[in-house]
Amino acid sequence: MSGITDIIVLIKQVPDTTSKAGLNPDGTIDRARAKRMLNPFDRYALQAALHVKKTYGGKVTALSMGPPPAVEILLEAIEHGADQGYLLSDRRLAASDTLATAYALHKCILYLGKFDLLFTGLQTTDGDTAQVGPQIAERLDLSQVTYCEGFSIQNGKLHARRIIEGGHQDVITELPALVTVANAYHTLEYKTIRGARLAQELLRDEALKNQYIHTITLDDVNADPELCGLKGSPTIVAHTDKVGQIGGQCTMHQGKSADILIKEIMDCTNIKEFAKQ
Amino acid sequence: MSDTDQIKYNLLLVGGSPSNLALAHKLVALAKESNQKLSIAILEKAREFGGHIVSGAISNPHVIKKLFPNYEELGFPIEGVCDESFFSVMGAHKKWDVPRPLMPDEFKKEGYFVLTLSYVVSWMANQLKEVIKDVPNVTIDFFPGFSAHEIIYDGNNKVIGVRVSHTERPDDDYVYADVTVFGDKGFLSQDLIQKFDLRQNPQMWSVGVKELWEVPGDYRNKVWHTMGYPLLDGTFGGGFVYGMKNNRLTIGLIISLDSPNPNINPQQQLQEYKKHPWIQEMIREGRLIKYGAALLPEGGYYSLPSKFAVNGAMLAGDALGVLNARRLAGVDMAMECGYQAALVLHEAFKEGNFSQEKLNQYQKNLQGTFVMKDLYESRYFRYAFMENPRLLGEYLPTVSKSIDTGSPFMGMLKVGLSHPLTAPFDGLRVKSLFDGKRDLGPLAYKPCREHIKPDFTPPALDEDTHYRKDTIYSRPDAVFYASTKYHEENHHIDEFEAATCMQCIDTYDAIGKSTPCVSDCTAEVHRVDEIEGARKHGMSLENCIQCRTCEIVCPEANLRVNPTEEGSGPDFLGL
Ligand SMILES: Cc1cc2nc3c(=O)[nH]c(=O)nc-3n(C[C@H](O)[C@H](O)[C@H](O)COP(=O)(O)OP(=O)(O)OC[C@H]3O[C@@H](n4cnc5c(N)ncnc54)[C@H](O)[C@@H]3O)c2cc1C
Ligand code: SF4
Ligand code: SF4
Repeated sequence: MSGITDIIVLIKQVPDTTSKAGLNPDGTIDRARAKRMLNPFDRYALQAALHVKKTYGGKVTALSMGPPPAVEILLEAIEHGADQGYLLSDRRLAASDTLATAYALHKCILYLGKFDLLFTGLQTTDGDTAQVGPQIAERLDLSQVTYCEGFSIQNGKLHARRIIEGGHQDVITELPALVTVANAYHTLEYKTIRGARLAQELLRDEALKNQYIHTITLDDVNADPELCGLKGSPTIVAHTDKVGQIGGQCTMHQGKSADILIKEIMDCTNIKEFAKQ
Repeated sequence: MSDTDQIKYNLLLVGGSPSNLALAHKLVALAKESNQKLSIAILEKAREFGGHIVSGAISNPHVIKKLFPNYEELGFPIEGVCDESFFSVMGAHKKWDVPRPLMPDEFKKEGYFVLTLSYVVSWMANQLKEVIKDVPNVTIDFFPGFSAHEIIYDGNNKVIGVRVSHTERPDDDYVYADVTVFGDKGFLSQDLIQKFDLRQNPQMWSVGVKELWEVPGDYRNKVWHTMGYPLLDGTFGGGFVYGMKNNRLTIGLIISLDSPNPNINPQQQLQEYKKHPWIQEMIREGRLIKYGAALLPEGGYYSLPSKFAVNGAMLAGDALGVLNARRLAGVDMAMECGYQAALVLHEAFKEGNFSQEKLNQYQKNLQGTFVMKDLYESRYFRYAFMENPRLLGEYLPTVSKSIDTGSPFMGMLKVGLSHPLTAPFDGLRVKSLFDGKRDLGPLAYKPCREHIKPDFTPPALDEDTHYRKDTIYSRPDAVFYASTKYHEENHHIDEFEAATCMQCIDTYDAIGKSTPCVSDCTAEVHRVDEIEGARKHGMSLENCIQCRTCEIVCPEANLRVNPTEEGSGPDFLGL
């Protein structure tokens, strides 16, 4: 027996990086209009959590913070085999920076109670800070293993391998612990038919959905609104610069036979000039 | 629902196909009236519904109108309504439109819908999600990205469900149902037919290769079917060009796989077709959008299974084999199967009776519809060409040549003069066989692979040299336009015996030819690798577009193309 009973994985919904829809004229993200997706880094965290469940047992809870549509990624987690989801959704959280986000999420984790392992992705594609995971670990006074690319649990301890510059590092720590999962971790497994079925059932049956997916507020988790949202965020965005178009025109030459491609590329004026130089 | 419950439904549909989706629509409509409680699951191997669908398609809209009387209001996607159709014979340089009075009726397509079938299928799935909202007694779970890999039977050989993973895994990868309907083009249902020995004759398969182009001209609602160039080696087949809306053009070729030629290379044949000045004229300034290929069951009436249902399961559409090669009609046939199956299933669920006897009422019902009437009438259509190789091997090339010299009638005359005794007789006989007026009794076919003659050499093809090079695509380049994507560790094609392949490679090496799998693959998958001095069969599976041609033409029956997993494979949506 591994003794593992509860695994929490933190996931976030981000604007779909492949879609151009949803940019404000000033180049910032219009989150209401943007197509949405599960933060790709978090897929590895979810994979790690499900791997623990499969190998050592335990129940996987997916936890997210975001506006109501973020329920979609909790359903996605359920499709992959997560057991339940919690969404912290509260208007007072708008414009939270990493400090405020980590504060709110650590309150949620305390609210959820006992756990053995807490997984997060490395970073998000919309913020790219990689700060939230470590901050939560600090607030909860947990050991943290960042950039984890593989692990096992032996005698109740976590044996993990971290990616470090120029190599890797093996560490051993007590549980509970927080692990930020590197994208090298594991091949991502496909959703399960049972999970896909359950997710569709939940979409049909509101009452059943409420048993699996819980939407909670700052009040539920006993968080201080003053420490959340804009108020709780010391980060000041002085101004944003639109990088604009870098370089000149870009033409894609693709999918044709090699000789045609070579001819097309050689016909490009700038290449001709380059060749002359 | 706990983690250990069986995943069970009343009805399991294997394949998000025109037949199965028509079935679901009709059954939901019936259950809405009767209040019959039903749970339905639909498995589709493509990531999205329609993602693995390749078709023409020009179709008689009668079944669509029956299923969706207000189809226009609902936004049923059609490309157009055919307003002019042609049947043309092709030389290498010219094309001859057969004058209307001489044109066989089956090529008159005026009033038929021009369809992008992948869009139709996608629409039918989405529309089903809409209608189901008003029918609380029916639930439907949609499983795009999940495919059926093995049929599961109970102790009494009743079909009770399928396994949804390729390899047996300890986890629960099984879906059970009272009734399973296969609209899977034979991917898995071939096992059912074999297990119950339902088919006296093998299925005769053709492969259809198709490209979608964006072109400057507007050919909307124009439909051409062609014979002749480039298929002049006696192989049965023909070309099609359909004008779609938004300046798009469908160009395709259908080639029968019961050919003696071991090296057909359908994708390259399509390039030959495109070199014809008539097609060049249309695509010269155009742009290729998508490429794809799929099989068509062309055996017709005498390749049909003896029973259309067994205990707990039914067959529909191409899986059953109801396509009518003479009219190139598969879509309406498949949808009518779904419609008729729904009527029987509705009764079966009311009675709780899923026996073969009950379910096979479906076969009797189909007998009363255009599906079986058409198939019966056309029962000797393909055979007419098989029994008389002169038709495609001699007469067609002669006429095709004379078209290039500007006098198709001369060609016909030549045929008559050079075969004074046989030609008129052949003509009459063919006509009577086409119409089904002459009765020859049941036929016996041999499987496509047994028609291959390794040493068969096709006559040299005259080709027009004025084509634009960048309208012609090599096979590896074409794969790009099928947008294949595979998950890691994909192994969806089984090669049974490596030694068999080595022998086969030796045989074809000795005569300077490629093995049928290498030459006839529509997507550059099969190859021969030199490994330590030995020549072995290898596969680049990440290129595969799931057409199953290799499985049909492998002379040793040494391949099996399994459905892809995890939504992998080509992306044909829009093709
Ligand atoms: C190039 C070409 C041109 C054609 N032109 C015409 C035309 O002009 N007019 C016409 O009427 N007909 C035409 N046809 C024929 C017509 O497309 C078919 O007869 C028709 O689509 C058959 O429908 P079906 O219901 O049998 O399903 P199919 O169209 O065969 O669809 C089967 C579906 O099942 C899925 N599937 C298969 N195996 C599995 C599995 N194990 N698990 C889960 N899912 C699975 C597939 O991904 C696919 O979505 C053409 C066919 C081709 C290839
Ligand atoms: S797969 Fe079939 S055709 Fe290909 S080499 Fe092997 S035996 Fe020959
Ligand atoms: S490998 Fe077989 S199934 Fe795949 S594209 Fe080639 S011929 Fe078709």
